[in-house]
Amino acid sequence: MFTTNPFTPLTDFVSAEVMQGYVVLMVLAVVIGTLFDLLHDKKLAFFLQERQRTRAAAKQPLSGADLAAIATRTLVNDIATFGEFCNQQRRISHVLMFYGFVLYLVTTVVMVFVYPTDTHPPLVLPVLWNIGVLLTLVGGYWFFFLLRVNVTHDGHPPWRLVRADLFIVTLLASVTFALLFEVVAMAGSSMATKVFAGLYVFFTTLLFVSIPWSKFAHMFYKPVVAFQKRVEEADGSSSLPTPTAPRGERCPHSHT
Amino acid sequence: MPTFTYMTRCDGCGQCVDICPSDIMHIDPVYRRSYNIEPNFCWECYSCVKACPQHAIDVRGYADFAPLGHSVRVLREEASGTISWKIRYRDGREKAFSFPIRTTPWGSIKPPFEYAAPDAAALNSPLLAHEPEMLKVDTLPTLRTAAEPA
Repeated sequence: MFTTNPFTPLTDFVSAEVMQGYVVLMVLAVVIGTLFDLLHDKKLAFFLQERQRTRAAAKQPLSGADLAAIATRTLVNDIATFGEFCNQQRRISHVLMFYGFVLYLVTTVVMVFVYPTDTHPPLVLPVLWNIGVLLTLVGGYWFFFLLRVNVTHDGHPPWRLVRADLFIVTLLASVTFALLFEVVAMAGSSMATKVFAGLYVFFTTLLFVSIPWSKFAHMFYKPVVAFQKRVEEADGSSSLPTPTAPRGERCPHSHT
Repeated sequence: MPTFTYMTRCDGCGQCVDICPSDIMHIDPVYRRSYNIEPNFCWECYSCVKACPQHAIDVRGYADFAPLGHSVRVLREEASGTISWKIRYRDGREKAFSFPIRTTPWGSIKPPFEYAAPDAAALNSPLLAHEPEMLKVDTLPTLRTAAEPA
């Protein structure tokens, strides 16, 4: 159980080539959607304008080694462990969602392209795929019901959906139906397999095609902004006062 | 000049929503980041600017100490108990100030809800709750009634 390729039941309806073509189309949707979001909302123009301004205000030039050290700190602290968040619950939920989603995506691509018709690919692939699904669901539902800031701080009921929820809702729906599709396919129910496969494909398509209107692309923007923030602190262009504590204070005690 | 949020820096933690005395800092339904829903009602009290852990909220300072084209940023550090200001003028000059916020450790002051509720009869007293002991004095002057001798 949960050790077989979850995508082989799909080959009853569509060929392996169609599945692979779908994955390529979704990758293109992510690239095009992110580029559209960057250019249409002038996010790229704003970022370049800000970078030009801070470069002009820099007091000390940074060497390549300095930039490499900053990039490493950004990778370890801001990307790998979501150190930006002062609220530890939000931090843990994002860690779960991020690693879960990455595991889910990578194993999906490998199984669809390398073992599309093989019911028993290397055991590690379906196991990691299921672990990825579970991590995403635990982190995602925790975030959706208990940690969304408009629910916890703005007093909105958890069932009130706004445009900012498009990403989390489509992500949760896609991954939830992926798991349900796997379960009903293992149970051998042909009709239920078709229904859940349809819902899975629908919400997965919506997840990747809706990037210009959703928060999907914040996964790509946040690391860049975190890197730029650290560069500003290091080259003296930051407009913030110099911390009085030797290493500064990333998160106030009352916010953690 | 009312508060505004740098959307790229905000991580949507909600601290500004909680602290705003005018209840005008809310969460944007499109980006799930904070924004000022009613700039006309902003007191420019700087509460949200100081509370924001990402330093994502800014306010243009008053013209009597910082003319147009300047930037005024503030940094609150609980651990060291300081608040620091940096003004950068448009000609590039900078002024920096640091002040102590308090002399006791963070969290060491007993909050009001930990005190016993005052007796209902105290409503007839001109003193406020827990006066005069909270003011660390023995007695406070009170109004005399007309019948009382001077």
